Amino acid sequence: MAAAALCWALRAARQVLPLSCPRQVRSYHVDWRMLRDVKRRKMAYEYADERLRINAIRKNSILPKELQEVADKEIAALPRDSCPVRIRNRCVLTSRPRGVKRRWRLSRIVFRHFADHAQMSGVQRAMW
Amino acid sequence: TSSVLSKDKDKSAASKDSTPEGAAKRQEDGAETAKQQLLDIIGNMKVEVSYRKKLQQLKASENKKQAVNKLEGPDSESSMRQGITENTQRDKPLNPELVKAASAVASSLPRNKKQTESELLAQLRRHEETTDEQKKGRTINIRNVISEMTVKRQSPAQWGARISSRISLQLDEDGQRIRPERSSTQSMDSRWYFCGFSFFVYRSLKVGKRLNIFTKASTEPEHALKTVSSPTIWDLEFAKEVAAVTAQPPRNGFEEMIQWTKEGILWEFPIDNEVGMEDDAEFHEHIFLEKHLEGFPKEGPIRHFMELVICGLSKNPYLSVKQKVEHIEWFQKYFEEKKELLQEI
Repeated sequence: MAAAALCWALRAARQVLPLSCPRQVRSYHVDWRMLRDVKRRKMAYEYADERLRINAIRKNSILPKELQEVADKEIAALPRDSCPVRIRNRCVLTSRPRGVKRRWRLSRIVFRHFADHAQMSGVQRAMW
Repeated sequence: TSSVLSKDKDKSAASKDSTPEGAAKRQEDGAETAKQQLLDIIGNMKVEVSYRKKLQQLKASENKKQAVNKLEGPDSESSMRQGITENTQRDKPLNPELVKAASAVASSLPRNKKQTESELLAQLRRHEETTDEQKKGRTINIRNVISEMTVKRQSPAQWGARISSRISLQLDEDGQRIRPERSSTQSMDSRWYFCGFSFFVYRSLKVGKRLNIFTKASTEPEHALKTVSSPTIWDLEFAKEVAAVTAQPPRNGFEEMIQWTKEGILWEFPIDNEVGMEDDAEFHEHIFLEKHLEGFPKEGPIRHFMELVICGLSKNPYLSVKQKVEHIEWFQKYFEEKKELLQEI
């Protein structure tokens, strides 16, 4: 169940810090595209369970096909922003959609900038 | 632990010499006059005898511990042991029952019986001494106080060097490196302050026997206050105000990190992966989920499907039991809504 694995990852990523602490709240988004991406992520988180379950009914060889067709229609009826496919891993600082390294969530240009100023822990210029 | 090891080595040599002496001494102390106590104290001021006594005490305490550990099975000996602990606080001279008990204990041990018996009796007598002293109020045992202190004699040149080194260390803490020339001029003035302290060797605070000079402050009134009133909202607010007023800005990076950890911004190290996750459920609640399948028909494709779902859930370590139950209930609701559809098929 690959979809299940994705959803587990979504849940695990949301592990909250101990309850007493205030979550980090971002009040500045570089541009509107970044804001829309943030909205899509929130929606995908809300509808993740339902989508997983409906997809489990759809991608099935046991249940009757009529049930599966109904499930198809249901999932199509969900809001468009709730699907995780629409999420784009943008750079966190510049909102660049391309050239983003997943581990640091930064675009290549910002990454280079910080690494050269020795502000990235454990990152060194390669030389061999 | 190194001191214990060294004492272990010395035990075999010194124990046999010391125990007959110790036994003889203790039998004399049965009368317990003040004069004899003083004589004992003076006699024990010497380093050798006190060391032997420590060995003796250690060995006796170890034997007692061994005796206690080995005799936990049989009931008669445990009752005798209880008899020992009770009787030590009653009679001044040793009870014949105690003596019998000690001999029985010694006979049961595999080691040298007479030795262990004499040591046990010595230990008992010592317990009695201490209880008597505490009853009378004379809790200060001078031997303990003085045995820990050793008199060191140094030449005044060495004094000066030591003091100057101390001062230079103290001055270095402020961040300024002061040359030894300047420190020597200052040391002349403060040498007189340090003279008095050179007699006692500075050791760590928690080494050595307890002197019983200070009595513990009684904790009863604190308990009484706590039980009377549970903290009201006003108390909490007041406490918060006080904390906010007295909170100093962090002086260094460590205090900043401490503050962050308290607020929750920084995780606690070593990282506990299960912070916030309180899964009190046992493993069988995660794995055996068939009891939740009661709402479904027992045969047919739906049952087959749900059994697969349950199989997948039982292998899932990331969801809590509640989430798994919700999962199954969602399916139940869904299939109930689609019942008409299903019956057409």
